[in-house]
Amino acid sequence: MMLALLVAVPLVFGLAGWALSRRSTDWSRWLTLAANAVNLVIVAVLWAGAEGAFTMGTQPPSSPWLAQVRWPWIPGLGISFSLGLDGLSLALLALTAFLGIASVLASWKSIKEKAGFFHFNLALVLAGVNGVFLATDLFLFAFFWELMLIPMYFLIDLWGHENRHRAAVKFFLFTQVGGLLMLVSIIGLAVVHSMASGSLTFEYNELIGTAMSPVVGMMLMLGFFVAFAVKLPAFPLHTWLPDAHTEAPTAGSVILAGLLLKTGGYGLIRFALPLFPAASHSIAPVAIAMAVAGIIYGGLMAFSQSDMKRLVAYSSVSHLGFVLLGIYVFTSQALSGAVLQMVSHGISTGALFILVGALQDRIHTRDMNRMGGLWKQVPRMGAAGLVLAMALVGLPGLVNFVAEFLVLVGTWKVSMAATVLAGVGLVIATVYALRMIQMAFHGGPREKWDIPDLSVMETCVLFVMIGLLVGLGLFPQPLLQIVDKVVAGVLAVIPSGGGA
Amino acid sequence: MLSWIWCIPALPFAGFLVLAVFGGRLSRTLTAVIGAGSVGLSFLAAAAASALFVSYPPAGSSFTLLLWQWVNMSGFSPAISFTLDSLSVVMILVVTGVGFLIHLYSTRFMLDEEGYSRFFAYMNLFVGSMLILVMAENLLLLYLGWEGVGLCSYLLIGFWYTDPENGRSARKAFIVTRIGDVSLSVALFIIATTLGTLDVREIAQKATAMWPVGSTLAVATAALLLGGAVGKSAQLPLQTWLPDAMAGPSPVSALIHAATMVTAGVYLIARTHVLFQLAPAVLLAVAIIGAAGILIAGLSATTQRNIKRILAYSTMSQLGYMFLALGVGAWSGAIFHLVTHAFFKSLLFLGAGVVILAMNHEHDVFAMGGMARKSPFTFWTFLIGAFALAAIPPTTAGLSSKDQILSQAWQSGSAGKVFWALGIAGAFVTSVYIFRLVFIVFGGKPRAAAPAGHGHGAPSGAGVAAGKDGMQAGAVMGLPLFLLAVLCLVGGFLSFPQFLGGKPILVGFLQTTLPQGSVAVESSVQTEWMLSIVAEAASLLGIPVAWLIVRRRLRMPATAAASVDNAAHVRFLQSGWGFDWLYDRVLVKPFMLLAKVNARDVVDRFFDGVGGLNMLLSRGLRWTQNGRVRWYAAGAAAGAVLIVAAVVLL
Amino acid sequence: MSATDLLGLFPLIILAGASILVLMAAAFIRRLVVSFVVTLVGLVAALAFVGIAWHHLPLKVGALLSFDGFVLFGFVLILAATVFVAISSWAYLRGRDDEGGDYYFLLILSSLGACILAASAAFASFFLGLELLSVSLYALIGWRRERAAGTEAAIKYLILAGATSAFVLFGMALIYEATGSMDLFRLARISSADGLIAPVGLAMILVGIGFKLAVVPFHLWTPDVYDGAPAPVTAYIATVSKGAMVVVLARALGPAFVGNGGVSHVSTAAPPLVAAGFPWVFALIAGLSMFAGNLLALREKNVKRILAYSSIAHLGYILVAFLAGGPQALRAIAFYLVAYFTMTLGAFAVISALSSPEKDADDLEDYTGLAGRSPWTAAMLTTMLLSLAGLPLTAGFVGKFLILSAGAGAELWTLAVIIAINGTISIFYYLKIVSVMFRGAEAAHAGSTGHPLPAEPAPAGVPMSGAVGAPLLAAIAIAVLALAVVALGVYPAPFLSIIGSFTAAGG
Repeated sequence: MMLALLVAVPLVFGLAGWALSRRSTDWSRWLTLAANAVNLVIVAVLWAGAEGAFTMGTQPPSSPWLAQVRWPWIPGLGISFSLGLDGLSLALLALTAFLGIASVLASWKSIKEKAGFFHFNLALVLAGVNGVFLATDLFLFAFFWELMLIPMYFLIDLWGHENRHRAAVKFFLFTQVGGLLMLVSIIGLAVVHSMASGSLTFEYNELIGTAMSPVVGMMLMLGFFVAFAVKLPAFPLHTWLPDAHTEAPTAGSVILAGLLLKTGGYGLIRFALPLFPAASHSIAPVAIAMAVAGIIYGGLMAFSQSDMKRLVAYSSVSHLGFVLLGIYVFTSQALSGAVLQMVSHGISTGALFILVGALQDRIHTRDMNRMGGLWKQVPRMGAAGLVLAMALVGLPGLVNFVAEFLVLVGTWKVSMAATVLAGVGLVIATVYALRMIQMAFHGGPREKWDIPDLSVMETCVLFVMIGLLVGLGLFPQPLLQIVDKVVAGVLAVIPSGGGA
Repeated sequence: MLSWIWCIPALPFAGFLVLAVFGGRLSRTLTAVIGAGSVGLSFLAAAAASALFVSYPPAGSSFTLLLWQWVNMSGFSPAISFTLDSLSVVMILVVTGVGFLIHLYSTRFMLDEEGYSRFFAYMNLFVGSMLILVMAENLLLLYLGWEGVGLCSYLLIGFWYTDPENGRSARKAFIVTRIGDVSLSVALFIIATTLGTLDVREIAQKATAMWPVGSTLAVATAALLLGGAVGKSAQLPLQTWLPDAMAGPSPVSALIHAATMVTAGVYLIARTHVLFQLAPAVLLAVAIIGAAGILIAGLSATTQRNIKRILAYSTMSQLGYMFLALGVGAWSGAIFHLVTHAFFKSLLFLGAGVVILAMNHEHDVFAMGGMARKSPFTFWTFLIGAFALAAIPPTTAGLSSKDQILSQAWQSGSAGKVFWALGIAGAFVTSVYIFRLVFIVFGGKPRAAAPAGHGHGAPSGAGVAAGKDGMQAGAVMGLPLFLLAVLCLVGGFLSFPQFLGGKPILVGFLQTTLPQGSVAVESSVQTEWMLSIVAEAASLLGIPVAWLIVRRRLRMPATAAASVDNAAHVRFLQSGWGFDWLYDRVLVKPFMLLAKVNARDVVDRFFDGVGGLNMLLSRGLRWTQNGRVRWYAAGAAAGAVLIVAAVVLL
Repeated sequence: MSATDLLGLFPLIILAGASILVLMAAAFIRRLVVSFVVTLVGLVAALAFVGIAWHHLPLKVGALLSFDGFVLFGFVLILAATVFVAISSWAYLRGRDDEGGDYYFLLILSSLGACILAASAAFASFFLGLELLSVSLYALIGWRRERAAGTEAAIKYLILAGATSAFVLFGMALIYEATGSMDLFRLARISSADGLIAPVGLAMILVGIGFKLAVVPFHLWTPDVYDGAPAPVTAYIATVSKGAMVVVLARALGPAFVGNGGVSHVSTAAPPLVAAGFPWVFALIAGLSMFAGNLLALREKNVKRILAYSSIAHLGYILVAFLAGGPQALRAIAFYLVAYFTMTLGAFAVISALSSPEKDADDLEDYTGLAGRSPWTAAMLTTMLLSLAGLPLTAGFVGKFLILSAGAGAELWTLAVIIAINGTISIFYYLKIVSVMFRGAEAAHAGSTGHPLPAEPAPAGVPMSGAVGAPLLAAIAIAVLALAVVALGVYPAPFLSIIGSFTAAGG
């Protein structure tokens, strides 16, 4: 019931906000904010329950789910509206609610026209994302998966920057081809399962462990893999991301980088691995290669950008490479690290986009060649930028370090080469992060800007996000413990022997 | 009893937080009080902790304070925990003690700079991180401090951020050391995965149990640790960042790039000495790197024009001595030299800072001169520092530590003789470059004043600058110089050579943590005498040589001087043996080129191609939609033919 | 045949009667509304009798017509679609035509033809229905004589339809010669045993079918005719005439593919048709239609032509399900037809609502900033387009899902992947329209060659009032269609069971 609320609340509040925005656009802002606040509370309650379940061991060992909902939907096709919550979804739901609040606050002032429709789309995306993180019926999952795209498309296409139309379509096409291939695979899986068991169903818990020939398994798995790899994004399927991130409005970038990319990693962990263990195991070397290539290539690309948002976007490519790496080396440290990296990247990059957005609202450019020496003008921005740059670098004390270190420790057992190359990626990260700070905030002012520093609200948002980065950096254990059971469950089904 | 030691690093962090949050709104006085005060308190805490530690030595001569479990996973559970043993006691005393003096000095030195609070925030953050580094019980926490000091070094080198050059030097420092850090982190991966722990003490036990001497894993791990160490300690081949790091304010150079951070590499090797003892080859490499560093850096120092670059190369060369010591197994000797070096090198940097202020931010030694008369106090303190550096009585600091290193090098096997010879040569070079500096800067009379332009201070003549001289600057800047000078004079007695009737207090204390060393130090008194006399001779010989060089150089007409400076070998030495040139060609340029070439993501071209292909096909097909009925009919007919054909043939 | 068998005929009889009635009424009272109302009544009455016939399945009228659940389903589809076309025609004709009795006459007549086609059991009735449908369409397409494009379209359609009808006739003759049977259901049992002539004949008939379905390579006429015909008539061509043909195709040839593994295993003792190369033919046609339709639409700037191309692709999708065979496939076809009808009718209804007397609103520019001018209209059209693109919350998503399941069930993996690829390509041009609608009005007039539609602020309460004087009825119709699209997309379960009963009952 609570799980369904997580999806319903943003939907209803968003619609209400849109309807009421005829009267005053503030309605839409407040209601979207409220929706996320409510979700945050719900997640908190669930989390508390989960903690209890872990500590008292009341959670039945048989089922990995902390909570489940299952209502009939299209019985004729074995489709039901079924949601399930485990540690992984819990962590990501918390991230969703948090970033939802952050993005609403971040675009409180900057969105002026069609604010009602804007916030409706925002709420709709969040509903879709929550659905993706909860769905345990594969049809439902595909449903939510596609559902996320439409409002995101509008967010980019209507409120984006110069080349928004092209970027929006590009984003949609890339994700759509993956989504449809995944749909084919889902159906194929259901068919294979029904041929074996005689009953057509799309329920995750029943489809799991479906026996199939290696070839079929590989084919079906590839459908999922492509969809998730595009979304993650994994090199070389990443090229939609820089355009989309760069053109999207601030809130859009935050949601995109913070949440939509995470659905890719989530999908790999939740579906690709458990449903097709053998195939996943045999594709692992390729995935690891893609991950390492992405880490280094993304860093290199980030270095060569002069558009600040583009730089951050490519840095995401680099950092999500760690997620892919952590998932496909099949060690508990690496997998936990990957999950942690999803959260840390969500917060840090979200914060970065908020910062860049705030900067763009003031100087109306993202071109770092026109910035420089801004520290004198806006020390608070500079300081925030510095900390977030250090998050890109993976400085110890911030959660990004813990995540990347865990991934690499886990990877070392499996592939030393991959570990070392990823380490090189960290050096490159230092190079581009420092370059960003230098071009934007240090050096002499290239142009005369007279701009206000971060507003109180912006400061608070960024302060909380940075606080979270540091807090989780020193106390990552609660998060790791929440996902521990899931990690163990996933690794249990993977054929032993590790990836490469 | 020691459970409160967490506040030793916590105090500077608190100072950092206060300054970072309220920095802008605080008055300079308050900022100074918080900035320097936090470190001062931390020093008192450290002193108290050390006193307790010495008077009531805990079991196993080490005390561990577990704060909380950082990560707790199967096979990987590092904790946030501090440890106190003789090594870390010595280190925290140096860091907080010297650190406090330099903070005190800075409160005056930086007074005219904007970003006063920012400066002290960074400095406090640095001290805190450095304390974490030296107190960390496991290598992961050490790594945290390790990276933290790297960050602060970056921030403080680039403190005057409006000049892009400073930014460049800062980034260079961070990136080059970061390369070493990656090597260090890989070492951590190996240890964590194979030994299943990062706790230093457990590592020592398990490694000795699991890894035979010279085994691949041991060698690899030690080598990777060394990679991290050379990065931080500016040793070959990652030394190139240190001279540029002098772009930062002088107190920064004194604290970070002389006394503390650059010695972290030495500390790391000493801390993980067990692993190095399991890898004799790597230990030899350490010695070789050290010996090479001594001479390469020393010779470079003899040709520099920038006063701070001279001292920077001197630091590299002195760190070379420490590495040599580690390499020959003089573990505690290395730490002892680390301590004395902290004394005299920070003294020299602070003195140089006074001179630079007095010269209105002029760095070129040949534009200086006659400082002895202008500011005698600075001169005498600086001179003491120079004597200590050159290991010449009456100062004892450099003397006794360097003496130990050389004597142990002498006794460490066949290669030891070579190392000893190199060390002696280094001693000679050392006194040449430092006294060259002294004669040029303090001797003679004032030369042509600085070509104004570079520098950040108020554009004022020597008159105002003289007002900033150590004496007139009063206690605030004078006191640290004085105290450090005293330490240089007596510091050596911490472990004065036995054959001179000294007692190895510090060394003995350190040996509760560090091994005795590869060879017994008790060798015949004659050898000891012989060795130290040779060393003294070499050092003393340097003074007249320096005098001759300076005299000749100063009497030259400008043109001849210029030609000398432009001589190939001089420029080679000035450029630090051309390493920058090499790395620029081999690494930087290609990277830049690659980035430039691929700025528009070649991968995307492929997907553009896919889109273009679709559009092309679309265009091609639209040609079929030409509106002609006969064409449409023909299409249908063709279709009919095709179907029939398919039906008939299949 | 018994009296009950006549029940099946009633809908047809009523339609015929209604057509006459309209003509006569128009002769006396020359008022558009009258002919419209009569048409509406006739259609509703026919629907009612379909309901009655439903309880007496299966029915058979001689050798010519036979009624089973699927046929009645087709009837409902055709009649309902005609109702919507009639409504939007009413809105469309106002200001262009004072009475339009003959227009509605032709409309009913073509629906009659479509129904006969759907119910046909023999060559004769098949051809009768086909021609009735086509002939009345010629006139409807060329309805707006003042427009050269309309006349041209009519003539093109006339010539090509005539030519392909000739093919059909020839094919029938060949089959009769070979098998001595005029039974439509005999087609499914044609095999190499019937010699070479029969398959060739079938191939010829397929030409006619392919022309009506506008699948590659018989699709070339589509854009011109869609463009030239009045918007409501275009809607009619896109839906009714194709739907009827799909029904008869599924009835006549569907059984041939039942239980066959699709193209993948031709060899296994499959029904005779499979042995001949027909599965390959259908597979090829389906794949080519998807690609051709979607690729052609990419660079198109005329909305009506875009929809023409997209309809080609959609028929390609349907053919995949048809090829899969079996009850799953039949259900998928039925559902997809409904979805396709709803969204296509909706889209064209919006277009005709936006059209001005002088000119149909078919240039992309006409839609620039529509969301600003009349949000509801834009919302409706967006819904339809997203459904056509097969995105969730709409009927199109479920439809595509069903087709894919049918295809997967028959292991038509290649075609399934082709559907996925084409689904992606199609997104591009559907989104192009959507994006244009939501762009700021300021961009609207920049380089707008078409007539920028008058900007009327939408008074609250009445939806659609933004569109050019569209009467409330048309507005409601569009709203109903939009609701249907969403309902089918969100909770298709009940409707699926209805379809199940239809496809199961009789036959």
